[in-house]
Amino acid sequence: MAITTPEGNLPLLSGEAEARVFWRLRRRLLWTITRQSVSQGWLRLVLVVALSLVLWLGLFGLFSEGFFFLKLAITIANTHDQLLRAVFGMFFAALMVMLVFSATIILYSSLFHSRETAFLMTNPVRTERIFLHKFQEAIVLGSWGSLLMGSPMLVAHGMVAGAPWYYYAVLAPLMVAFVYIPASIGAIVCLLVVRCLPGARVRVLALPLAVIVVLAAWFVWSLTTGRQSDLLTPAWFREILGRLEFAQHRFLPSWWLSSGLLEAARGVWSESVLFLTVLIANALFFRQLAIGFAARLYRPAYSSLRGKGTLGQRKRRYWLDGLIRCATFALPKSTRLLIVKDLKLFRRDPVQWSQFLIFFGLLGLYFLNIREFTYNISISAWVNMISFLNVAVVGLLLSTFTTRFIFPLISLEGRHFWILGLLPLRRDTILWSKFLFAVGGAIVPCSALILLSDFMLGVSPAVLVSHQLTSVILCLGLAGIAVGLGARLPNLRERSPSRIAAGFGGTLSLVLSTLYIVVVVMLAAIPCHFGLISQRAQMVAGHAARQSIAYPWIQSGLWVGILASFLLAVAATVIPLRIGFKAFRRMEF
Amino acid sequence: MIDFTNVTRRFGSKTAVDDLSLSVRSGEVFALLGPNGAGKTTAIKMLVGLLRPNSGTVSVFGNDLVRQTRQAVAHIGYIPDQPFLYDKLSGREFLDFVGDMRGLDRDTRRQRIARECDNFDLGEFIDNLTETYSHGMKQRLVFASALLHDPAALVIDEPMVGLDPRRMRLVKDLLQQRAGEGAVVLMSTHTLAVAEEIADRIGIVDHGHLHFNGTIEQLRDKFPARHNSLESLFLEMTNGNNHP
Repeated sequence: MAITTPEGNLPLLSGEAEARVFWRLRRRLLWTITRQSVSQGWLRLVLVVALSLVLWLGLFGLFSEGFFFLKLAITIANTHDQLLRAVFGMFFAALMVMLVFSATIILYSSLFHSRETAFLMTNPVRTERIFLHKFQEAIVLGSWGSLLMGSPMLVAHGMVAGAPWYYYAVLAPLMVAFVYIPASIGAIVCLLVVRCLPGARVRVLALPLAVIVVLAAWFVWSLTTGRQSDLLTPAWFREILGRLEFAQHRFLPSWWLSSGLLEAARGVWSESVLFLTVLIANALFFRQLAIGFAARLYRPAYSSLRGKGTLGQRKRRYWLDGLIRCATFALPKSTRLLIVKDLKLFRRDPVQWSQFLIFFGLLGLYFLNIREFTYNISISAWVNMISFLNVAVVGLLLSTFTTRFIFPLISLEGRHFWILGLLPLRRDTILWSKFLFAVGGAIVPCSALILLSDFMLGVSPAVLVSHQLTSVILCLGLAGIAVGLGARLPNLRERSPSRIAAGFGGTLSLVLSTLYIVVVVMLAAIPCHFGLISQRAQMVAGHAARQSIAYPWIQSGLWVGILASFLLAVAATVIPLRIGFKAFRRMEF
Repeated sequence: MIDFTNVTRRFGSKTAVDDLSLSVRSGEVFALLGPNGAGKTTAIKMLVGLLRPNSGTVSVFGNDLVRQTRQAVAHIGYIPDQPFLYDKLSGREFLDFVGDMRGLDRDTRRQRIARECDNFDLGEFIDNLTETYSHGMKQRLVFASALLHDPAALVIDEPMVGLDPRRMRLVKDLLQQRAGEGAVVLMSTHTLAVAEEIADRIGIVDHGHLHFNGTIEQLRDKFPARHNSLESLFLEMTNGNNHP
């Protein structure tokens, strides 16, 4: 073997050759992942495809109904067109803001904290190529969800409007060109923030996010605080259109996109192509701008980020640990210590709590605004249904949290199990601490959210108590499923919690959790619903007719439902935990 | 030739590398020794283009790591202490990708992959996905990938981590062989026996300062009669064992 002489010409790749190398890499990775998903993760694949399809069709049906309603309700073509422009403009403007933020956050993580980029940077690859490699990933990761949610709306609109074939043909190019613009802006923001303010990056990124959340909350509030008598009147339309006017600024890419789509649906293909061209030109410009920024800023930014010490950031939040220690005073000391340890790990990983905070915050915003929507909250059965649906939504959100964060805890512990394994601790204590951590962490936000929803809806004290009981039952069962299955089906090879959660065990945990929520909420909601209907019927019918309404049966049903919920909760908590304890005691690390 | 010229690198208020000046010549095995947090890995990360110095320059065969990063790292084969591999690629696919990035044509890639498979006994598992590899298997694959383009400079952070005694011997022989063929070998290690056995020259770093740069004999001359082993000399240089 002979070394490559430093004097000789080194075979540095051209830009095109580099692109081909990375394309081959991506193709190989995609092929392996697809093959593995089909052969090993078929359950997850089938579930993902089936649930996506159900979601897509559900949204498609909803949007079709909505567009039909608008078509029938607003017969004046000009007003109908204005309203559609306002709806599309608002939707895509919101999507644009979300894509800027998601690209910024995804790229911050993948460019500056990924081991792959560190590896690539030690190879003779252009900085721009590394950036592009991660940028393409960020575009796919940041936009697929939005496209999944947005495409049924666009297809539904096309079908209701009787759009010609080229409407469907330009959908994808318009969307792809559009997505590039906010993603490029997000990439530039990310690079500039990390390069110029590496020490204050979190605050710099969090501040505009907080401002946008507050503005969005104010906006939703202002849209929904109109008098009911004005609803669907010309004055109401004018007011709403006036409030949405800002989303139709001519310099906004979201306006170009909505105009391109609406013109194509109307059959004006030349206008549609014009907007497509504008979008493509801008997409290429912003992409090139982002690459230019990356060429100059990425490596220095990467280096400066690592130049920032993290000392002094750890001492401020000890009050929370102290609070948890006080709140868990009745538990054995070892269990308390383990709970505080898990809490520390949780709060020091912003990826974990920020998602938790955003989703629960959004749900809180919705609950706060619930009175302002146009429900008829004078009908108790209707209120009851909404309130139970809210409980189910909180439960579903909690199930994603337990699957994503609680299920992988044992797998992650397994990699460093020797640390705990050498301590004078029983293995059961470790698992109990995870369970209590999950239950404690879930009960407070869930009960608070459900209480808020009930307060805003003005439910009766009896329903409020039943909701709080349901919340406790959900928290116990979901924590039991996540901890039990996490111990029974661990993945000790994987380091990434999201990948552990995405495996067979995580998927099974999510499916069982969803089923559990549906059954528990139904068991509590159905008897309660019929009870309220019967009460209303009795009030309407008067004393004489009371005997003809099978009230005792309904009351019995209520008790049976409550009893069945409790039994199910005990089963969902105890059975997975028992299985988990048994497996964990025998587990070899 | 590897050159550090008055290189300083700070992390916040801490100076990890302080005014480091060091040259490693072709045909030489240089071992960078020092306690935890002494600045060895920081120096290596600046050498492979991951970090930039706050002041001073780092160059490889005259190519500045900041201004001519690609040209500089093209000369380097780097083996980090915590290697990265794509989980969903097989060992062969990974080597093929690295060779591809290094500009080797298809035939050369095939020949070199076969050569490194022989050198590091990769044959048994080369076509399995790397997610199934043990730490030692990963380390061998990373060695193979770093040597694929026959680099003129080998940079290794903790070369013996995860290797069994037979592979440790293989690596030691290989490093000396590469140096014998004219390559520059710079390694950072805690394994003093390895440094003592194969290094032509050692550098002892502590708190970011290069306290000693020379041969082991020169180190012994510096502390005559008091110490014989490199371990005791190292402890003397780094002020005992009062380090984290």
